[in-house]
Amino acid sequence: MVSFLGMLAIDARDVEKTFRSGWPRRRETQALRGVSLTVERGAIVGVLGPNGAGKTTLLSILATLLTPDRGTVMVLGHDVVREAGALRRRLNMASGRPSFLWSLRVAEIIAFYGRLYGLSGAALRRRVDGLIELCELGPYRRVPYSDLSTGLKQRVALAKSLVNDPELLFLDEPTLGLDPDVSVRVRAHIARLRREQGITIVLTTHYMREADELCDEIAFIKGGRILARGTPGELKRQIRLGEVIALRLDPARVPWLAEIPGVLRCVELDGWVECTVDEAEKRLPELLRALHADGVVIRNVQVREPELEEVFVELAK
Amino acid sequence: MSWRNELLAVWAVTLRNALMGARNVFFFFELLFWPIVGVLSIGLMSRFLELTEAQASFVLVGTIALSVVNVCQLEVAYAVLLDVWSKSLKHQFLAPIGIRHLTLGSWVVGMVRSLAVFVLLAALGRWAFGFHVLQPGWFALAMFLLGCFLTAWVVGVAVCALITLFGNRAEAFAWATVNMVLVLAGIYYPISVLPDSIAAIARAIPLTYFLDAYRSHYGFASEFRAPIATGLALSALYAALAHWAFLAAIHRARRTGLLLKMSE
Ligand SMILES: Nc1ncnc2c1ncn2[C@@H]1O[C@H](COP(=O)(O)OP(=O)(O)OP(=O)(O)O)[C@@H](O)[C@H]1O
Ligand SMILES: [Mg+2]
Repeated sequence: MVSFLGMLAIDARDVEKTFRSGWPRRRETQALRGVSLTVERGAIVGVLGPNGAGKTTLLSILATLLTPDRGTVMVLGHDVVREAGALRRRLNMASGRPSFLWSLRVAEIIAFYGRLYGLSGAALRRRVDGLIELCELGPYRRVPYSDLSTGLKQRVALAKSLVNDPELLFLDEPTLGLDPDVSVRVRAHIARLRREQGITIVLTTHYMREADELCDEIAFIKGGRILARGTPGELKRQIRLGEVIALRLDPARVPWLAEIPGVLRCVELDGWVECTVDEAEKRLPELLRALHADGVVIRNVQVREPELEEVFVELAK
Repeated sequence: MSWRNELLAVWAVTLRNALMGARNVFFFFELLFWPIVGVLSIGLMSRFLELTEAQASFVLVGTIALSVVNVCQLEVAYAVLLDVWSKSLKHQFLAPIGIRHLTLGSWVVGMVRSLAVFVLLAALGRWAFGFHVLQPGWFALAMFLLGCFLTAWVVGVAVCALITLFGNRAEAFAWATVNMVLVLAGIYYPISVLPDSIAAIARAIPLTYFLDAYRSHYGFASEFRAPIATGLALSALYAALAHWAFLAAIHRARRTGLLLKMSE
């Protein structure tokens, strides 16, 4: 793995963006209201948030497709507005709703963009072949884009986004609408890109499992502001959702459980008592000791961290 | 950017447009249909009206020029239109290329296509109406075609600018505007027959001068002193303006988010 420890791939400060559209009556949408985000080289950072939060807008600004209204954005050491040209050769982007020229074939699409990035001759052929193999598009290389299924189109988009060997890759919902089998492989692939080539990746997703699995860090954005930032574990602790200790007891009901210090609430579910506690490691022995002293038989115990999904729901409130 | 990369990016666009063109049988048909209809109807009309050979040549030159410009400018407009139609515009503006690569690459295909149309129309004109395109000589013909190509480039880039400025809804509006301007260029009549105010507009259109120079070889005294030089100078001026307008439109589309909107 290539190491760029401590170097910043992205350093965005106080980025604001307002869309004005509609005529004759103007509509204004404040998509970003002062977003600051840093991403270290070689990291995978997930940008999560509800629909319309500003995720795509943020990624588009970082990728030079959109100019910010206010704020400074340095990407790979370049200013995204003043040095966009130099920056563009070093980054790329793919989205979960890709579109390319309908009647071009898979290999032609990748080759077209390859040439725009300065590849030609044998080098271009090698790159196209390599990407087709990597993205498992071999049987489809001569198929027109319009004849591909959603998942295949996304793989073409992924292949295209790697055509210039980018140092920084933006993936906007890369596994949107993919079947679980393909999603797993796309995720494995994203992880490998970082591991083997040290590519910095910023992705958005609505699948919490994906974010939990892939991302070193997560930025949670809502209403154009970053509300929380950290590793998936840190976020779970920050939100103070607590952890769950699930118990199967005999007798099944123990009314005084909720009164033990550190226990936030208890619910019964399918013969299980689920106690949400502030810190499982500390409360579990205390709980067991109290139950034992009361003569309650403990048949089964499980401890669960909250899912990232719960963090999301909590933050999105 | 190195020369190699410059040429490569232009070539990439050329190849893309050529592939798209070759794949679309319908385009192909459309490409030939209107030009042939134009030459046949104008030729037959000139026979019905018993025009002299010179007069018939005058209007045939006009209709051939119109076809050549139209075919070529449409291809130049494809620089963005193809991507607007398939909602893939953002990819090429994410790549480290400039609009010059897009417009020049499409222009190359446009010239090849419209040259093919020209050869066909010339053959048709010769066979059906005894009209000879080479009568003025190779140089005059080359200048005439160059004038058509340059006009097409300006028109095509202007259409690109209008579309990136107003979105794909502006498509029809863009064609209408530029075609109106073209019709003023004395396609079927010398501009001396136009009212003064409109003649002034016609005099600002480069194609007017190239038509004038070419027609002078068919027995119509030139209305201008140095038509080719004037046409070239005007073309250069408009080419620069159209390029700048397109550049500004893209710049604006990056700011307003239209670039993204046209890609989803
Ligand atoms: N090109 C545009 N023109 C006008 N408004 C826009 C444009 N793009 C986004 N917006 C608005 O900006 C806000 C943020 O949109 P954005 O696409 O960034 O959200 P998102 O977080 O990506 O949402 P989703 O999860 O649905 O993809 C929304 O209110 C949206 O309507
Ligand atoms: Mg989005």
